[in-house]
Amino acid sequence: MYEDIDIFELAKFAIKIAEKNYSNYKCAEVFIGKSEYLNIEVEENSVKYSEIGRNHGISIRVYRKNGSIGFAFTNILKKKVVEKIVKNAIKMMRVGTPDPDFKNLPEKLKPYPVVEGLYDRSIKNLSIEDAIEYVKDLIKTCTEDDQAISQSGDFTANSNLSYVFNSNGVEVSGEETYFNISSNMIVKDVINGEVSNGYESQMRRKLVDIDGTKTAEEALKNAKRNLHRKKIKTKKMQVILSPKGTINLILNPIASAINAETYQYKRSFLVGKRGKKIGSDLINIDDNALINGRVGSNIFDGEGFPCRNKNIIEHGQFLQSGLLHNSYTAGKENIESTGNASRRSFSSIPSIGISNLVFQPGITLKDELIQNVKEGILLNSTADSPNIATGDFSGLISQGNLIQNGEIKHALNETMFGINLLDLFENITSISKEYKIYGPYSAPYVKIDKVQIIGAQS
Amino acid sequence: MKTYDELSFFDNAFIADLLQEAGNKVEYWDIRATVSEGTTLDFTDQRSTEISSYEMTNCGIRAFINGGWGFSVFKDLNKDSIKSSFLKSIKLAKLTRSLLKNEFKITERDPLEKSFKINSKLPLSDVNIEEKIELVKSHEKIAAGSSKLVTNTRTIYMDGVSNYIFINSFGSKIKQKLSYLRLLNMVYSRKAGITQRSINSVGGLGGFEIVSTEKAEKISEKTAQESIKLLDAKSPIGGQFTIIADPKLAGTLIHEALGHACEADLVLSKESILKEKIGKKIALQDINVIDDPSMGQGKKLGLPYELFGSYFVDDEGIPSQKTTIIENGILKNYLHNLETSSRMNLPPNGHGRASSSSAKPQVRMGFTYIEPKDWNVEELIRDTKNGILCEDFLYGYTNPTTGNFQFKCKFSYKIENGERKELMRDVALSGMILEVLKKVSAIGDQKSFSYSDGVCGKGGQSVRVCDGRPYIRVDDITVGGLN
Repeated sequence: MYEDIDIFELAKFAIKIAEKNYSNYKCAEVFIGKSEYLNIEVEENSVKYSEIGRNHGISIRVYRKNGSIGFAFTNILKKKVVEKIVKNAIKMMRVGTPDPDFKNLPEKLKPYPVVEGLYDRSIKNLSIEDAIEYVKDLIKTCTEDDQAISQSGDFTANSNLSYVFNSNGVEVSGEETYFNISSNMIVKDVINGEVSNGYESQMRRKLVDIDGTKTAEEALKNAKRNLHRKKIKTKKMQVILSPKGTINLILNPIASAINAETYQYKRSFLVGKRGKKIGSDLINIDDNALINGRVGSNIFDGEGFPCRNKNIIEHGQFLQSGLLHNSYTAGKENIESTGNASRRSFSSIPSIGISNLVFQPGITLKDELIQNVKEGILLNSTADSPNIATGDFSGLISQGNLIQNGEIKHALNETMFGINLLDLFENITSISKEYKIYGPYSAPYVKIDKVQIIGAQS
Repeated sequence: MKTYDELSFFDNAFIADLLQEAGNKVEYWDIRATVSEGTTLDFTDQRSTEISSYEMTNCGIRAFINGGWGFSVFKDLNKDSIKSSFLKSIKLAKLTRSLLKNEFKITERDPLEKSFKINSKLPLSDVNIEEKIELVKSHEKIAAGSSKLVTNTRTIYMDGVSNYIFINSFGSKIKQKLSYLRLLNMVYSRKAGITQRSINSVGGLGGFEIVSTEKAEKISEKTAQESIKLLDAKSPIGGQFTIIADPKLAGTLIHEALGHACEADLVLSKESILKEKIGKKIALQDINVIDDPSMGQGKKLGLPYELFGSYFVDDEGIPSQKTTIIENGILKNYLHNLETSSRMNLPPNGHGRASSSSAKPQVRMGFTYIEPKDWNVEELIRDTKNGILCEDFLYGYTNPTTGNFQFKCKFSYKIENGERKELMRDVALSGMILEVLKKVSAIGDQKSFSYSDGVCGKGGQSVRVCDGRPYIRVDDITVGGLN
């Protein structure tokens, strides 16, 4: 259906309209996004719902010489509507406030890197019937287990095309695919009737890398580990973060804190810490866009700027160059963008986002980490997040277990914990060799000393 | 809105044509199509970072056969693409159906043929962009100028109007003209190396009159003062405490700690701890909990617009209505969509909601609240020996399977011997759904009546919701802290 719309021609048309209506603009950019998806949902451990969809749209961003911005978008890909949208963007630009911090949109300066495996051709021939096969693996795992009573989950296949075209000569397009499978397993203890759940998901660029059975088995394992929940007493303890816990408490907050926009507006707990030590020597974190086949990898960012690898934290030192930039925040510091402009879709102005945030693994085996704990907690997940401005965290352990004498014991009920992130970074004592990849994150097990645990047991 | 014409091809002849296509191949189908326009203004530190406008179309078609659903989503609104997507959704339903082990039917409901319109005193189309910008600028100026401690301000203004058509196989044909507006204000302050922020929002269904209400006019001043006040707040001490929750927090508590577990889709999928609890006593005798998203609530609260969480009909063509969730401590009803009400053999109660026409309806709340009783706020504080007075919330979440919930309060005052003492920040509260409702020891009176407006996420979709009403006191809650 889209074949009759030449998006490249439409983009050029939009820039032409902008020139015609306001020839004195500083720069303009057209972004076009097209996507198609397929989704199968499992409810009550049965295929219940399938969906296919497509989306497309065009946006235009235009700047006046004084830095004021205008933006407009539509998903109606007709010349008449696009013309109206461009005129609207110009109208918006004219009423905006001047912004001397705005320098320019990216210029075509450098070649684009080569990153393999971002697009999987097999999506072209993927039918609903094929997709259902992946979901059947989820269902089978639940059916065959005595304690599993239900499961919800889904499989999604996505393909996106992005095209960036600006008046400074940038013109780049690329296609990418994402496949996602998830399972939320519900288990019931046969003896006491206690019910609990466990979640696991997988996101990959390639269809063959999706493993429904493994995903469901991991969810099942998590659910069973979350049975026999008990309250514990308030105490300071050692905590081992599982890879998901590491993402919740370390990588996700760091992703926000190193966002140059957050940083420049002084909304980050890392303000004033550039070039300084912020924690244990064991912390090494990179943001790498160039790993072949990874979900957060890319050739160009949301503004058409080339992507690259950036070291963020080296041996506990937050590097001077450790911020992630788009062209606006980079311009403010008179440096080059880091290629981290991110757009959720054509309808959003580029913000800043991570590529693949990689916490470099350590040398200790995960089992050894646990064996050396006399009394502590294995923290699998918290649905909470720290206050990025202060680094304070205080929240509920949504899935965690007590560790006693090196063994994983019962799950925790109504257990909270509190820590400032800088203390947490300081108190990291070891990092596992094993790591897991979830979406754009790569995370090991991390051991932390002296965490304040607040239990509900009186 | 001239784009209304884009939906005019949904005439009787076209619908008859679709009905014929469907024939007896499907048991139920519905089509939702929306044409919308809107504006977003985003200012930081008195500079515009986004001034944008949009024009969008969305369409989603669902088909159902004996327990299997197919859904097709697309953006190009014309007769041909609707027809081809209609056939696709039927094919998807058939495929889904072939693999299904839980068979069920959708009970036929009365068709509704009606048009609805949000009445705005000051329609958004009559307000030019300059006026909207002036509004945002003035709030930015107030916030920035309120104190030297303010480091950073942000104001976001969003509005939108849409024309929405809903057609289903029961013969319903519902047309709606909707209009919403939301104003958000954020202020960051810094003192002695500590940064604190506060956020407030005002939102509703209506036009530009929403920004002229007292609450909206004072938003930036209030936010700035709050963020400055938080600079002197102390970190909380963890442990077990009695808390008094203000109406906004009490509403969130009910939304998180009870509301989600009452969503019948979670009950059917065995994910809710409230499964098999209808007719059972789950709360104290005094507690009545209602969800009432019907229109007219704003007027009752003295507002010139409709509440953010209100709607005329849900996204499956069922009129919004008052649903009693808990009556005198007894669980009376779950919240339903078409599917769950059919499967539980109950009438639907209008809670099938979707974030847009390209998303499938799920069971969602609307305006959830506790009915007020007789405690006066001051009395309530005086009657509390040791505890925490918690005002407003930052966010909350719940695990409906285990029943464990948590939320974070914006302001928390220590109460000692019936007196309000020092302010604490980032207080996190946690508890268990089935325990907390039995620990409520006092419910406030009508005077303390208030509500919050916000968005709630579930299954990747966000919908507008409101929670609210009186102060409540809860004994023995776990409070998280850094000390």
